[in-house]
Amino acid sequence: MVSSILKTEKLCKSFSNGGLQQHVIKNLDLEIREGDFTVIMGSSGSGKSTLLYALSGMDKPSMGKVLFNGTEIQNYSNDELAVFRRGNCGFVFQSVYLLDNQNVLDNVLTGALIVQKNSPELVEKAKDLLRKVGLGEEDLKKYPSQLSGGEAQRVGIVRAIINDPKILFADEPTGQLNSSAGRDVLDIFTGLHQKGQSIVMVTHDLKTALRGTRVLYLRDGGIVGDFSMPVYGENDLKERRNKLTAFLEEMGW
Amino acid sequence: MVIIDMRLLRLSLFNIKKSKREALAIVFLTLITTFMFSVFLANGSRIDHAFDESIKASGSVNRLLLIGEEKYHDEFKKILEEEYHPERLSENRYIYCAMTDVLDNRGEPISHNLLFVTNKTERQLEDFVKTEAMTEEEILQVEHPIWLPDTFRISKGYVVGDSFTVLKATASYPFTVVGFYESGLQSSDAYGFKCVISDEDFDLFSMIFDSGNAHSYTGLGFDGAADFSLDDFIDRCEASSSENIRSDFFDLSFENEKANETVFLSLYLMMTVFLSLVTFVASLFMIRHKISNDIEDQMQQIGVLEALGYRSREISLAYLYEYILSGGLGAILGGILALAITPALDQGIMIMLGRTMHDAPEWISIILVIVIITVLVTLFALLKAHTVKKYPPVVAFRRGINAHHFGKNPMPLTKMKGSVNCWLALKGFLSDIRSGIGVAVCIITAGTTVLFALMMFVFFKDGTKSLEYMMGADVNIIMVNLMSDVDPVAIKDEIAALPEVEKAMVTYDMEFVSVKDAGEPGQIMVYEDFGLSDTLRPCYGKVPEHDNEVMIGFSRAQKQNLSLGDQITLTSNGLEKSYIITGIISSMMNSGTVLYMTPDGYKRIRADGRAHTIYVYPAEGVSLDDLETAVSSHFGMSAKESMEGGAAGDSVEDKIRAAAQEKIAVLLSQYGVTDVDYAIRIGDQMISGNSRDFVIKEINSYQGIIKSQMAPIAEVTKKYTLIAAILISLVIGVILAILSSSNVRRLRHSLGIMKSLGYSSRDLMTQMALKFLPVTLFSVLLASICVVLLNSFFWRAIFGVIANANPFVILMGDVGLILFCYAVTYFSAGRIKKISVTELMTE
Repeated sequence: MVSSILKTEKLCKSFSNGGLQQHVIKNLDLEIREGDFTVIMGSSGSGKSTLLYALSGMDKPSMGKVLFNGTEIQNYSNDELAVFRRGNCGFVFQSVYLLDNQNVLDNVLTGALIVQKNSPELVEKAKDLLRKVGLGEEDLKKYPSQLSGGEAQRVGIVRAIINDPKILFADEPTGQLNSSAGRDVLDIFTGLHQKGQSIVMVTHDLKTALRGTRVLYLRDGGIVGDFSMPVYGENDLKERRNKLTAFLEEMGW
Repeated sequence: MVIIDMRLLRLSLFNIKKSKREALAIVFLTLITTFMFSVFLANGSRIDHAFDESIKASGSVNRLLLIGEEKYHDEFKKILEEEYHPERLSENRYIYCAMTDVLDNRGEPISHNLLFVTNKTERQLEDFVKTEAMTEEEILQVEHPIWLPDTFRISKGYVVGDSFTVLKATASYPFTVVGFYESGLQSSDAYGFKCVISDEDFDLFSMIFDSGNAHSYTGLGFDGAADFSLDDFIDRCEASSSENIRSDFFDLSFENEKANETVFLSLYLMMTVFLSLVTFVASLFMIRHKISNDIEDQMQQIGVLEALGYRSREISLAYLYEYILSGGLGAILGGILALAITPALDQGIMIMLGRTMHDAPEWISIILVIVIITVLVTLFALLKAHTVKKYPPVVAFRRGINAHHFGKNPMPLTKMKGSVNCWLALKGFLSDIRSGIGVAVCIITAGTTVLFALMMFVFFKDGTKSLEYMMGADVNIIMVNLMSDVDPVAIKDEIAALPEVEKAMVTYDMEFVSVKDAGEPGQIMVYEDFGLSDTLRPCYGKVPEHDNEVMIGFSRAQKQNLSLGDQITLTSNGLEKSYIITGIISSMMNSGTVLYMTPDGYKRIRADGRAHTIYVYPAEGVSLDDLETAVSSHFGMSAKESMEGGAAGDSVEDKIRAAAQEKIAVLLSQYGVTDVDYAIRIGDQMISGNSRDFVIKEINSYQGIIKSQMAPIAEVTKKYTLIAAILISLVIGVILAILSSSNVRRLRHSLGIMKSLGYSSRDLMTQMALKFLPVTLFSVLLASICVVLLNSFFWRAIFGVIANANPFVILMGDVGLILFCYAVTYFSAGRIKKISVTELMTE
């Protein structure tokens, strides 16, 4: 039986806006299984990103519990959450968020060195991962401003996985990329998943969602649909698309 | 006509509102700068005027020459009249009592140099302008009236009717203060206070005060002798009298007294200017930093404005308005503050100067400072704001070329060793080393000031104790002057055996000799073994060992351009002898003019000199008063005490013995009598005695005079430097806090990313603080070097002595400054805690 890596109980998140309470996530119960490629979808303002940040310890819920491997993290202090994130999570963002004043290799190592000691093996691992996502030796010394959007996102992915996170979170990772670059990035995610990486990804793009094994549909702060698919493979793509499209249409997408 | 574009003004106000802390820091720094500059400019000339006006108000002569009464000849007055044609000249008698103990108005013992004159003399010297006094009727009721210089009222808190008791040995002479008057000359601790007493009291004092440090003088007070030269005059007097009289002259002049009285106030004002320069540099740095940051932050906004048709000059104006507003506000507030504290400052200056401030504060100077500071701030801001023109719209839209990093990669993480926070901080510092230059300038200037203030504070922490090593004399001793017929070595041995005594040594009276080609005579201090001294350590060279060697004060070495190995020629009583300078010492004694010799060296120039003074050093924990008591009780009352009416018992026999002792003391100390016997029969009783009962002529010490002259200066300096250290630390703190917090604002995006990678707020705050550490370490190190130089310059310039900076204090100061800077930057980066990763991701 596949164990759950992440679980929420009665999770609530609300924001105060001009004295008005805006409840974005409402009493949400959710379980993310280890090894799953979970895709969170929903219309704009449905609470996708808010849920992602609450799950990943980037943000604290207003109420309810978040359990990571059975440990409650919702009451952690900010610094404890930082330590939690560095040890367990990897993040890929829509805007990549590389550090402007550091070159490609240093951007990757900045994420690694907070967890691991520096060693030739670590540097070699970083270079190897960068090579695997298509960045050659000549790219390692480039600064973010010298990279294309796709290259930058690939650096972002390597930075996210350098510490072998137990779970990888991604917030619309292809949102700012052209279709070709987007496909390359998604291939990387698929590859990672096929090697057993747990992934939680927020997207509103069908092509991206097709890569997942489970699609959760969010509406008004709650999960209204939960759709499972087999592991992604080129040969069943048509059938996969049809089923997912049907699910999404049913959800009112 | 300048038309203010309201849209640009709004942008300025927006910038101020957006970065309130930086704007407030600029207001604070310009406020402090303006305040201190204003205080200096508005009061510097007033201090000068206060002295001049006081002399004018008193109607005082400009110069008074006191000549020992026994050496004075009427010819001297004639020489003065005929050779120098003074406009005003008077000849009078004076009693000058150096280091005289008095009980002040609170009944506390203190020493002053006092000059006693009669009412008539005072009227010839000056106009005897009374500032506060009893009525004529009340004065008539007072048995021993005394008029004190106004400084006693202003600085020492005396009021009319207070008691002023002169102490000589065990006798006391109580006076009642009947009033205060404007005293032109002799209104300072250094030159003495002129006290006007009745003719009867003056006659009494002239009889009893004529030994040791108290002497009768004939004084020539004069004005308007334009070509007067003291050396020339003394030469003429010596030629006329065929006597060596240089040592018997005491020159009191307007210039000397003014320089002496205003030196510390001028010093404090100069220090104030220095502090204001430090804060001004800091404010300019803050402005530079803020404009750079604002332009960087608002690059896209600048691009939009340019795209809309605004010229870069107009956009620069928006930044300019901001600094006219913040700098101008600070300058105005600083000026107002300077005006507001003027009454308190006046009081302070009056207390330090001991003279009434006649001038009103110079408002115009303060307004001038406000305008100058505002203009300078504006000009500086304009220069920096001009960089807007470097960014045409397209470049601005792309957030300037700065956002595109193509530079070298300092400290690559592949080579990281140790802590990642440390490494990233240093990497950040090296990537932005240019902004460190400004921080360094600020910390170096401000750090130097803080360290110097700290050194001065520590130096004066225990009052005047540290000064003892610069006095050029052992001051924590008593000087026992022996009767002429006793064996000084035997007495010295006897004294040295007392339990209250650590050690004792025989020496000679400090006699004056003339120094060839020098304006100032020298007073000779003799040590048979300089190793016995607690404080006499040459700064350069070594102590004299042979009869042709001398050690001189640093001040004399500077004035006469003398160095080790040079020769100095001394003259006395027709003798002329040369000495080789073997050592140079810090010596404040007699303005550093003292000459240090061996007994043999002394005898070469003063063949008649006799060693009948013993320096007695107290054992640990023994006060000088207790030491004096121990010596007195061991050898019996000194001749001086007896002469001045020392203690007597209640019986008739005691009273007769005391009266006889008193008579003998007068004979011994004033008439050179060496041996006296007496026998008095009262009925069947025979009371007899002799002069062999007297061993000690008198006992003196420097403690009282140091307490009265240096202690107040030490106290004020201690307080001033403490305030300066706190103020400048505050300036450093403000600058670093603002830099640190604005760095957080500027790097908010990167910090958010780092947080998402798992760096905690504490990690990032540490990085932020460590980023400033290299520049702090470098600057504090340079500040330490600067403070050593500043300290040396300060003591040389002000006191003419060499003072080595205390390395321990500097080290402690350095550590303190570094920790302070680290703590300020760390805690100021606390805004990092407020950076929310999600907020960053969703923006």
